[in-house]
Amino acid sequence: MEEAKDYQVNLEVFQGPLDLLLFLIRKKKIDIHDIPIATITREYLAFLTQKEKINLEREGEFLLIAALLIYIKSQMLLPRESELEDEEDPRKILVDRLLDFQKIKAASTLLSEKEDQQTKLWKRSAPPSLPTTEDAELVEVSLFELAEAFLSLMKRKEQENIRLIHGKEFSLEEKMKELIDRLKEHGFLDFLEYFNSQESFEEALISFFCLLELIKAHIAIAVQDSLFHSIKVWPKQGARP
Amino acid sequence: MRTRLKDVIESLVFVSLEPLNLEKIKNICTEFSNIEIEQAIQELLESYASNDRGIQIIQAAGGFLFSTKSESDQWIRRLLSLEQKGKLSHAALETLATVAYHQPVTLAEISALRGVDASHSLKSLLRKNLVKITGRKKSPGRPLIYRTTDKFLTYFGLNNIKDLPSEEEILKILDEEKILD
Repeated sequence: MEEAKDYQVNLEVFQGPLDLLLFLIRKKKIDIHDIPIATITREYLAFLTQKEKINLEREGEFLLIAALLIYIKSQMLLPRESELEDEEDPRKILVDRLLDFQKIKAASTLLSEKEDQQTKLWKRSAPPSLPTTEDAELVEVSLFELAEAFLSLMKRKEQENIRLIHGKEFSLEEKMKELIDRLKEHGFLDFLEYFNSQESFEEALISFFCLLELIKAHIAIAVQDSLFHSIKVWPKQGARP
Repeated sequence: MRTRLKDVIESLVFVSLEPLNLEKIKNICTEFSNIEIEQAIQELLESYASNDRGIQIIQAAGGFLFSTKSESDQWIRRLLSLEQKGKLSHAALETLATVAYHQPVTLAEISALRGVDASHSLKSLLRKNLVKITGRKKSPGRPLIYRTTDKFLTYFGLNNIKDLPSEEEILKILDEEKILD
């Protein structure tokens, strides 16, 4: 206990409980494959009690490993009829995790070295300026962006005064056909405009599902002039180069 | 003829935003045979390797790209009025290393390996486009599966995921640490 205090290290400096365990093991110059579980558990718990309060959200994981340590300790204290085989060593789960973690830690050190080297190299990060025809810089948008645009539109629609309830039902197939026809006819479709023209929330919702289906099936592609602009939907074949 | 092709390829690399790979060059320079293209690239690389220039051609994420040399870093930062280039946090690096070496991997697996909840750092890596979601695992709860991206390779100057520090290199580091202790 005194020893741990000498070190004056806070839990904050450790990247989680495994990091702390490794630190304790190294400090004691213990072989990771043969951890004296009683000693290390004592040290570990001493470390935890150093803190007056444990922030469960941030440090709950430390308690989890503490519980594991105590569990292993209790397993080792239990008298057994026959000698344990190597495979059955209760410390094995812990050792395996520590070995894996140790590798990750070393790998992240190596990556960090690479990062240091690479941040000194400057690479191009902006495209050469292209001729600015109207839709020269189309970016393909992700489904998330599409969904976001849809939600913002529906929010707008929601604020409009709704008067009556439609009983009409919409079928996916019909809508799908309508969408494809429209794409064929106009060549493209303005996302916001199209949904604005939908009569009801249900209809818009169904259309949106259809659109997602089309994109998923690679029949259509969604593009955006630039961030926050309207999204256009093109049929995939014979679309833009 | 070949000198001209070399110039063309140099220009392509110059204009290209992402590392330009051999496949792409071949698709663009259809007038030339594969051997001619490969030879021209070789010449181009050699002329840059002659160490006569401030710009170099490096290979990352399977393609070629221009980059400055590390010696010029401080002056470039002066030009851009940058104190330091932002780097990844310790937790982010650890999570990234976990994804890189254990991919395809789920959030629960990453958290278990690191012993801490990795959702926060994973989110920031997703935002930085260093990892991506590649699907769902066919197991209870169908958790999302994560992998590293091409940008990850470029960021760390790796040409290929196989260029990651090998098991031996990692073990060497561990040995060195033991000696230091």
